[in-house]
Amino acid sequence: MTETRITDTSEIRHTDLPPHHTKLVMKGNSAAAVAAKLCRVSLVTAYPITPQTSIIEEITTMIDRGEFDATSVNMESEHSVFAALKGASLVGERVFTATSGQGLLYAHEVLHAIAHMRLPIVACNVGRPSFPWNIWADQTDSISQRDTGWVQFYCESSQEVLDTVIQSYKLAEKLLLPVMVVLDAFYLSHTSENVFLPHQNLVDEFLPPDQRSGNRVDTAQPRAFGGLVGPNTYDDYNKLYWDDVNKVEKVCNKTGSEFGKVFGREYGAVEAVNIHKNTKKVLVTMATITTTVREVLACYPDIGLLKIRLFKPFPKKSVLNALSTAGDDCNIITIDRNFLGDTEGALMQEMKRALFGKTCKVFGVYAGLGGRDVSADTIEKIINLDVDSPHTEEVTWIR
Amino acid sequence: MTELSKMIEIRGHARGGQGMVTAFEMLAKIFSYRFGFEVQAFPFFGVERTGAPIQAYLRISSLPIRVRSYIYHPNMAIVFDEGLMENPALLNGLTPDGILIINTDKPPSDFKGKAHRIVTVPATHISVERKLGSKSLPIVNAAMIGAVLKVLGADIEEAEELIKQEVPAKPEANADAAKAAYHSTSELSDPLFSPHQVNGTAGQASKPSSPMPFWDKPMSANKTGSWRVVAPKYETRQAPCSTNCPAGTDVRRFVDLAAKGKFDEAYQVIYEHNPFPAICGRVCPHFCQHSCNRIYFDGNLNIGAIERFIGDFAKSEPPAEVPATKKEKIAVVGSGPAGLTAALRLRSMGYPVTVYEAMPKAGGMMRSGIPRFRLPENVLDDEIRRIEEQGVNIITGKRVTIAELDGKYSAIITAVGSHVGMGLNLGSHEQVTDGIEFLRELLIHQKSSKIKKGDTVAVIGGGNTAVDVARTALRYGAVPTIFYRRTKQEMPAIAHEVEEALREGVVIEFLTAPVHLEPATSGRLNMAVQMMELGEPDDSGRRRPVPVPGSEKMVPVDHIITAIGQRTDPFVFSNQTVKAHQGRIELDEPQTRTPVFCAGDMAWGGTVVEAIGSGNDVAKETDAFLRGIPWKKEDSTLPVTGYDEINTAWFMPAPGHATPVTIPGNLLNNFDEVAGGLSRETVMDEAQRCLHCGECFNCGNCFNFCPDAAIYIDEENRLRVNYDYCKGCGVCVRECPSSAIHYSE
Repeated sequence: MTETRITDTSEIRHTDLPPHHTKLVMKGNSAAAVAAKLCRVSLVTAYPITPQTSIIEEITTMIDRGEFDATSVNMESEHSVFAALKGASLVGERVFTATSGQGLLYAHEVLHAIAHMRLPIVACNVGRPSFPWNIWADQTDSISQRDTGWVQFYCESSQEVLDTVIQSYKLAEKLLLPVMVVLDAFYLSHTSENVFLPHQNLVDEFLPPDQRSGNRVDTAQPRAFGGLVGPNTYDDYNKLYWDDVNKVEKVCNKTGSEFGKVFGREYGAVEAVNIHKNTKKVLVTMATITTTVREVLACYPDIGLLKIRLFKPFPKKSVLNALSTAGDDCNIITIDRNFLGDTEGALMQEMKRALFGKTCKVFGVYAGLGGRDVSADTIEKIINLDVDSPHTEEVTWIR
Repeated sequence: MTELSKMIEIRGHARGGQGMVTAFEMLAKIFSYRFGFEVQAFPFFGVERTGAPIQAYLRISSLPIRVRSYIYHPNMAIVFDEGLMENPALLNGLTPDGILIINTDKPPSDFKGKAHRIVTVPATHISVERKLGSKSLPIVNAAMIGAVLKVLGADIEEAEELIKQEVPAKPEANADAAKAAYHSTSELSDPLFSPHQVNGTAGQASKPSSPMPFWDKPMSANKTGSWRVVAPKYETRQAPCSTNCPAGTDVRRFVDLAAKGKFDEAYQVIYEHNPFPAICGRVCPHFCQHSCNRIYFDGNLNIGAIERFIGDFAKSEPPAEVPATKKEKIAVVGSGPAGLTAALRLRSMGYPVTVYEAMPKAGGMMRSGIPRFRLPENVLDDEIRRIEEQGVNIITGKRVTIAELDGKYSAIITAVGSHVGMGLNLGSHEQVTDGIEFLRELLIHQKSSKIKKGDTVAVIGGGNTAVDVARTALRYGAVPTIFYRRTKQEMPAIAHEVEEALREGVVIEFLTAPVHLEPATSGRLNMAVQMMELGEPDDSGRRRPVPVPGSEKMVPVDHIITAIGQRTDPFVFSNQTVKAHQGRIELDEPQTRTPVFCAGDMAWGGTVVEAIGSGNDVAKETDAFLRGIPWKKEDSTLPVTGYDEINTAWFMPAPGHATPVTIPGNLLNNFDEVAGGLSRETVMDEAQRCLHCGECFNCGNCFNFCPDAAIYIDEENRLRVNYDYCKGCGVCVRECPSSAIHYSE
């Protein structure tokens, strides 16, 4: 290596720059900020918290420079951040925020309200845990909010953050559901890497202005919102919600493939790598751990990868479809970077639910919590988990 | 692992604040934008701040990067701070053919055995030379980029533009540092090197012993001060208002006291350097407020109005007379601001002092040269009386020479001012008068002027005398026009006085100069005026007026009053021409055995406040001389706080309070004061706008912002740093509104 000069670029395997794109080195947080701008968001409310802060800093800088035509308001808490978005979205504005860890937990009550007021708000969460006090990568914060009614995506790269925010508005405004786009702290939020930045006209083509009609504040047709709903109608609203939740997986896949047509990068609810009839084990991952698994997998032809991008609602059909080619003796190992105070991590729970009645065994590992580095060595340990031994526990903690 | 050979993995070690994270990001951009590589740069973020050891990672690859973890087996280790080399774990996992780059002045041979290939670069040296960061915390990132590019065989020219675009400040200096480092690396290859053993992954810690984390000592026992490499320190620096006061007044201090309503104390602070606050509050050009840093924020403080209020406020307090304890008697010739200040200072030291004044009343130019509508006579009388009440003996109406005083005093201070106008060399005509004489005749002798209502008066000059003469003429009902050879910008007169004159109806013809005069009908003169244009700057820094050929025009006038400069009356030296200068003077032909000192307008300056400063100095020098000790004026070497050092985010915009100016509807024979004073509340309001440049004013912002709660309030009620806990992060230095906290080693 010492003899190789870095300027020798003959080895570079170029990914061609897609049309109407610019290549930039960007952090995940910058990608989130720029995505909000490209989606022509008109209001950003926020409260700073590590490691989310630079998203808001970049947004306010762009607003200040006149590059981003939006209003930003620094609120007194995350509860107020989401409450203000609720009001603005109800007026028909396209709104955005970002938070992390304790900030998201503090907003919990309003998250429910937003979802059930059917407001198409998109928010980024840069995942960090709550306690013991820690600021590093962990998905416990957002996963603990999985039952608030928000759609949740988990991103693997800065590119995916940018692309997912754009798709999220499309999905949110179609189904009238809020969407949370999750980035891993530091491994994504603060990592600078190559990103293809789409030009504004592409985004405008894909994502026209919010055309919500119906339930919103309109001075021409005064209405009241948020009143008491009695026992004989309450569940009707839940049923309506449920009808739309059932559409999310399909709309997500459709939106991902439409996105591919415009931008040249296709997305689905899940991504399957190397899953075939000889696959012995499939690692199920979310977010940045996926990348390192891809690298290690190159040495293991009988190991597959299933990346869960849409986590909530859990894309059961896509998961089953991805695993359909695998043999009956294929084992599933889920990697959970979250701890919900339960015996199983969230991903393991969801996979077991999806695979109910199937013959394959599901093992779970907890790895990378509180920012513990998940290196290629860690992945090798997971791959080499002796699933055939009767002494191997169903759930393992890997360091 | 496949294809890792196509990837270079770099691990950086630095201290927070050296710019490593930015450097790695810039390197990522350089290798992506200039060479088309895949890149991945990220820091390991800890809770530590400035000065604490940190790590960052950079991957550069010709293929897509499919790993997102720390770097355990770097091909290259970069050490931004040589001191970090003390940690043996630093080079853990460096590959057998790995490269080590160290920021050091030492040769690579000093690090033999550390890596296969060792590169040293004097990045600190290069950065300090280019003033990047501070001496105690140099920002070495651009230089380190240069060294990395050199080692990787990349072209520095390709990177320079990008460095300029990406750095937050000093683009040229940073690009230059990178280039200098690129050409300053030294290398050593060590074929006998055997690789280090990997000590495992980062962050391995002991297993918890309880279900909930606890620390077996209070957090306060964790003295994080040991992490510190630079220390913030409260340090009072100079404020531009104070350093720009020729009298040496501690402006920042009296403004602060005024803000708190402590006007008596404020008066004492001014009086320490200036015994004429009420006068200076009215007539001083206020160099202080023209250098006020708030100018760049939302307008300077109206320090003149604050001073005026303090001066007027304190009039009721009678000053105490100090007993004359010294036997050496001192004579002061001239009772202007320089003479009276010197006399008061020396009297306060215990010397018996006698002041000789040629005019019937004391005050010098303050009395004979400043019209009453700018300085009412009672204000002048009051402040002079206070000086007399402190024991200064003033003999008026007595014109003396130093020869007459010789032998009767231990020292003679001459401060006779500049009361002789410089004539205009245009021949002698009875319609031509000297401006300073015109004012003196009116103010001292109450001689009614020859000027009649409706007369056309040409005033020649652009200084305060010219403006005062024109405004006085206006009050006689005349029609005055000032002819000035440059533009408004170059006028030496006080700017607001010029504005007031214009508002009153004075006409100013800029870029004009009279060239010759000829008699016209009915006792008038025809003044030929030449138009000028501005050429190259002259010695004063102002652009020199150059005549425009063929641009002469004739102006008929009744009177011409010249105000183009003044000089000293040599009578005091028995008409011998003496080169006056500040302090002790030696005459070419000595006229006295008694030592003679010199101060005021005749020595330097030309404003009341400069004369006061001159008087302070000459008093100190005279006292030192009489006591037989050497004396030299010493200026503080402390840095002066600039606007860029102020944390303006702390301050709320607050519009200033202008001095109220009342221009009477009918100016005829109206010599009432034009400028008014501000109320007590308004003065306090105005004083509260002070930015406190360079001085702690106990705002507590450091206390609020310190992330380690390492700021405390000491027994003297001052904010101070607790160095047991201060990590040296510098948040207080950046957050201090007034730039009163600075880094020290």
